[in-house]
Amino acid sequence: MAQQGNVGELLSMLDSPSLGVLEDITAAFKDNLICDRGPMLVNNLVDYYLETNSQQALHILSTLQEPHDKHLLDKINEYMGKAATRLPILSLLGHVIRRQPSWKHKLSQAPLLLSLLKCLKTDTDVVVLTTGVLVLITMLPMIPQSGKQYLHDFFGIFGRLSAWCLQNPGHVAEIYLVHLHASVYALFHRLYGMYPCNFVSFLRSHYSMKENLETFEEVVKPMMEHVRIHPELVTGSKDHELDPRRWKRLETHDVVIECAKISLDPAEASYEDGYYSASRKPCTNLKHHQTDPSASHYIDTQSSYGTSTPYSTPRLTLSQMPGQLPQILSPQSIQLSTEPQQVTIWSPSAVCGMTTPPTSPGIVPSESSQSSSQPYSKAFGTSAGGKGTPLGTPATSPPPSTSDDFVHVSLPSAAATPPKKEDKSDSGRPLLYRQQNVTNSDKSLDTPGSKSSVTLSDLPEFLGGLSFEDSAEKDREEDAISKEISEITTDAEHMVPRGGFDSPFYRTNESLSGSQKKTQSAVSGAQGHGPTSEPLTSSLDKPGPESARETPKQTFTPIDKPCGGSGESPAGNREGTSGETSILTPSPCKVPAQRRVVFGSGQPPLYEHLFEVALPKTAYLFVGKKTEELLKKVKGTQDEDCTASTSPVEVLDRLIQQGADAHTKELNKLSLPSKSADWTHFGGSPPSDEIHTLRNQLLLLHNQLLYERFKRQQHALRNRRLLRKVIKATALEEHNAAMKDQLKLQEKEIQALKLSLQKEQARYHQFQEEHENIVAQLHSQIRQLQHDREEFYNQSQELQTKLEDCRNMITDLRLELKKANNKVCHTELLLSQVSQKLSNSESVQQQMEFLNRQLLVLGEVNELYLEQLQHKHTDTTKEVEMLHAAYRKDLEKAKLCVQQQSQRLDASQKRIAELESQLSKKDHLFVEQKKYLEDVKIKARGQLQAVESRYKAQKRITQAFELEILDLFGRLEKSSLLKKLEDEKTEAAEAAEERLDCGNEGCADAVAGYSEETIGRNGETKPPSTRGSSSSKGGSNSELSTPEKNQNQRFINRWETSMLLEPSTTVPLTVGSLPSSKSFLGMKSRELFRNKSESQCDEQGGTINSLSDTLKTELCKDPNMETKAPPSPNNSLSPKIPESSVGQLHIMDYNETHHDHS
Amino acid sequence: MADDSQRNFRSVYYEKVGFRGVEEKKSLEILLKDDRLDIEKLCTFSQRFPLPSMYRILVWKVLLGIIPPHHKSHALVMNYRKEQYWDVHHALRVIRFINDSTPQVDVFLRIHQLESGKLPRNLAFPLEPEDEVFLAIAKAMEEMVEDPIECYWLVSSFVNQLNSKHKDALQQLPKILEQYLNIEDNRLLMHLKACAAMSKLPYDLWFKKCFAGCLPESSLQRVWDKIISGSCKILVFVALEIFLTFKMKIIALTTAEKITQFLENIPQDNTDAIVSKAVDLWRTHCGTPAHSV
Repeated sequence: MAQQGNVGELLSMLDSPSLGVLEDITAAFKDNLICDRGPMLVNNLVDYYLETNSQQALHILSTLQEPHDKHLLDKINEYMGKAATRLPILSLLGHVIRRQPSWKHKLSQAPLLLSLLKCLKTDTDVVVLTTGVLVLITMLPMIPQSGKQYLHDFFGIFGRLSAWCLQNPGHVAEIYLVHLHASVYALFHRLYGMYPCNFVSFLRSHYSMKENLETFEEVVKPMMEHVRIHPELVTGSKDHELDPRRWKRLETHDVVIECAKISLDPAEASYEDGYYSASRKPCTNLKHHQTDPSASHYIDTQSSYGTSTPYSTPRLTLSQMPGQLPQILSPQSIQLSTEPQQVTIWSPSAVCGMTTPPTSPGIVPSESSQSSSQPYSKAFGTSAGGKGTPLGTPATSPPPSTSDDFVHVSLPSAAATPPKKEDKSDSGRPLLYRQQNVTNSDKSLDTPGSKSSVTLSDLPEFLGGLSFEDSAEKDREEDAISKEISEITTDAEHMVPRGGFDSPFYRTNESLSGSQKKTQSAVSGAQGHGPTSEPLTSSLDKPGPESARETPKQTFTPIDKPCGGSGESPAGNREGTSGETSILTPSPCKVPAQRRVVFGSGQPPLYEHLFEVALPKTAYLFVGKKTEELLKKVKGTQDEDCTASTSPVEVLDRLIQQGADAHTKELNKLSLPSKSADWTHFGGSPPSDEIHTLRNQLLLLHNQLLYERFKRQQHALRNRRLLRKVIKATALEEHNAAMKDQLKLQEKEIQALKLSLQKEQARYHQFQEEHENIVAQLHSQIRQLQHDREEFYNQSQELQTKLEDCRNMITDLRLELKKANNKVCHTELLLSQVSQKLSNSESVQQQMEFLNRQLLVLGEVNELYLEQLQHKHTDTTKEVEMLHAAYRKDLEKAKLCVQQQSQRLDASQKRIAELESQLSKKDHLFVEQKKYLEDVKIKARGQLQAVESRYKAQKRITQAFELEILDLFGRLEKSSLLKKLEDEKTEAAEAAEERLDCGNEGCADAVAGYSEETIGRNGETKPPSTRGSSSSKGGSNSELSTPEKNQNQRFINRWETSMLLEPSTTVPLTVGSLPSSKSFLGMKSRELFRNKSESQCDEQGGTINSLSDTLKTELCKDPNMETKAPPSPNNSLSPKIPESSVGQLHIMDYNETHHDHS
Repeated sequence: MADDSQRNFRSVYYEKVGFRGVEEKKSLEILLKDDRLDIEKLCTFSQRFPLPSMYRILVWKVLLGIIPPHHKSHALVMNYRKEQYWDVHHALRVIRFINDSTPQVDVFLRIHQLESGKLPRNLAFPLEPEDEVFLAIAKAMEEMVEDPIECYWLVSSFVNQLNSKHKDALQQLPKILEQYLNIEDNRLLMHLKACAAMSKLPYDLWFKKCFAGCLPESSLQRVWDKIISGSCKILVFVALEIFLTFKMKIIALTTAEKITQFLENIPQDNTDAIVSKAVDLWRTHCGTPAHSV
């Protein structure tokens, strides 16, 4: 609970006078709010606010952020239920909502809304109701889509409150009702603007009932007079306007402006875009009214109200108000010419105006323009809203207007309309006017502001004599303005809030007056206010900046100007403002860009001249009316139904104004304590009530003010957006212009291109013609040539026919020639045949002769032979026969012989063939045999290789054995070495010899392949070596040292050793190969060996012979290749054999056999 | 080409579509049917195809000259060989180089030594390097061949062939290996050079012992087929394939000693694949052997 205490402290410090503390506390609260999500702090704040009405608490509450909204709403809802706290909590809610918190969309779901509606439906306190309705109106645009479910609640509330306004069931003070009425009026606007279809249907159903009819007549109908037909009524439907999609794209201020758009009430309405022209109409009419003397009455009265409005401070005594209200409302009734209640034009405000002399007439034009629009609309009924053409308005001008005025009016109206007309259609007059404008603008290009003044000054001239009168009044008005300004300067307090709204209008007024001063100073004779103009200019400087700031608004709410009271527009500002207006008002200009400039600068004058026109009248009438109204005031109260004709807002405005005026007056007059006594004089409530009423009223006014401020904010938002749009639009227009320039350039290009195209076409045509000529020429040539050709062709055909004839003739001739030739040949043949026959016959004749002669000769010879034959007849036949027989025999013999010979030949030939075949067979056989032989050879070689390897192996074995044996010998000898030292040498020699022999013999033996024998021999050689010295140390040593050396090397060794040993032993070389004959053992062994070898040779000689052939060569080769040692022993041996002794024959034999073998 | 007509005409297509060696056995049988065996043809066959195991020993014997090309003399020659073996065996027994308890391999070595005349003076003599080679080859061969006599002869002839025919070629193999390794896998070669392992590779094991003791006998047979038929270059490709197969492991090893150690004891699990790849590699690099012998 420390926190709570802390909060309490903080709350107490919240309203501390020190600024520093204040800031700290505010910051602390905000920190707390950020940290703490609980409802406690908010609740405390609300409580605190309710208790103390602290501004700081209000500020904090209204800036609450998201998570706390629920608590706040709950709390408000809670307090809403209690009647006591309802009012303050409603005002708190109003504050909060007007801040437009980020969580505003949650309001629609909050129970607070329900309770608010309930409160509005049931509550009877007017103050609460008014405040609640204002809150509701503020809230509605924020939650447009959720209004659906509460729509009937809204309508119900409207119905109830409108009825309340009339019937006043609570019997509250009238003054409250004014407030209530104003708020109901606002609600009406809002509902009609947002949900037209539903609302209208509601109105239809609700006011069709009898009991409600009166309310409708009195309250609702006048309200309806201030609205246009909503476009949604035509295009929309009940469902459509409730469609959330419709609302989604609209922001709050959009909704507000939407609602303002359909309003015809200048206090409520907003004019922009399409509504612009429509909103203008009242202006024109206003002017028209002002010219009308009858109308000017109330204009003046209204102007007096208008002036009072800015002074929201209730200077007027409030007690006066109830009585005054009906009077205020009365002027409107005057407008209704058809209405029977033609009350004298009095207004309490006039009295007020009188009572407060400084009330500025400067406001008058603006005020009048505002107010007069309503009378106009009233007077013409629906014509204002329905009629599109302003030109029609003068025709339907109300009866009160005189003929003089009509002329007078029509001119300014025409002058005023151009902006509208240019939107729609150009008429003659506006053109005129525009031209004038252009000229004016030409005159004064330097300052746009001066332009406006020029036009203004021109306009009166244009209007002719009328302006004379006006100018006089204008001066009067100037006077009032200056007075007003002097007041403003003194009262800075009011300046600030006012300036924002009003300054634009002041400018126009000021410029107006200023220009008039310049141009018409000569004309106006009744100008006695020279000195007053000075303070005006001097006082203008101060509000200047403000006006500059706020001027943009002027364009959007031109009719709102009435609020202003003092004229302020220094020359310096004017430039800026007019410049701005020119920028800000391009929207009406759908006219070409050139005119825009004129327009921009010309627009302000449009208003101004309206006012200018209005002003003199009002100013003029102002004085007269005041007096009149003073009289009428006495007449008494007016009916309340008059209120219906005026806008409730205005009524309220007036009320406030009056209150303010009265208040100031009273304040001046009375001392505070005696106030109450005097109040009763006004016929109001008792004093005790009075304070309460005042307070409430203050509260209500405050609420109203806040509501209006909220609306202003919305407008400001809207303005900013529109400004952006305008800038965009201008940019687009410039772009457009650029595009147009480009277009022109391109058009020029196109033109140029077209020209060149034409040229090209012309050239082309020329060429074509030339071409055609040539073609025609060529054609004629061709034709001629063809003709020639045909002629030639005919000629050639003729020639050909001739040729053919000739040919035929030739062939005929040839045929004839052939025939002739044939005949010739035939005849020649015949001739030759004949000649041949002739020669034949001749030769035959000769032969015949010859033969005949021979025949003769032969006949003679025959005769002769016959004679001889007869003589030698017998001998010859035998011989011939014999010869024949012999010849025959010989022939036979020869034949036989030939036969024999041929037979022999055949036989021999056969024989030869046989032999040849045999030969070939044998050859074949030979080949086969050879092959076979080869095969066998290879086979044998293979076997032999095996055998050879075996043999080699045997040799190795033998060697191994030898080695072994020698080794063993070595060992034996070692043991017997000492004993037999003497015999050593000889025996060693013998052993060496033996070994040499063994080597040789081994070689031979190896050839034979008898290992056993060598073994045997070795066995034999053993004893001598063992016995005999055997210390063939050199030999054995060498052998031992080279056991791995091959056989041949060993041969050498042995040979060498033997050679070495020879000299020592002196054994002859011949013996070297054989065991020495001296040694018995050697002899023995030799013999033994020889025998054996011989026998073996004998035994196996046959078989080995063949083998030895091959082996021998190989054996010989191998040693030869490796060393030349082996041949040398052989060579040495072979020559020595014959040298050796005769006793060695065996050996020779052996050697011989060996030789044979090898 | 008389025997070609007897062969299955499809055999040509088998090879084309990638079935190698479908008709090998049959064609080998045809080759072996000739009375005088054509050694050149057998060589070519052996180079081109893997030998069927049932004919391997016969072919080897023929190729190594242990038995002559004539069928008729086979028995005789083998008898001779046998006698020779036993003779030498007997002699060794006599001089007590061997006895009954001597291992077969040592017996072979001694016989070989004796036959080549290099038998040491006594048993105490230390073994020469070439004896080590012989022992390794003999051990491998002993696994392949059952008959000790045949085994001896094969070993002996094989070693003799290596020492005579391939002596010069064997010395060139390390260089060739480096050359092919450069072609096949330069990076590995660089690695080996960086480790200075090129000079320390087990060349003895690979090229002198012909991978005896390095590869299991089943794989070894196929390598030896090629060697016996005359191409010792296959050794290079087997070594190369070993390198390629165990490339990652070898690259992981950084010292020459480790590499050598690893290569001397390579895993025995996929040697068949190595040999197959090596044969392929050998074919691609040296072409299909025609009559290289």
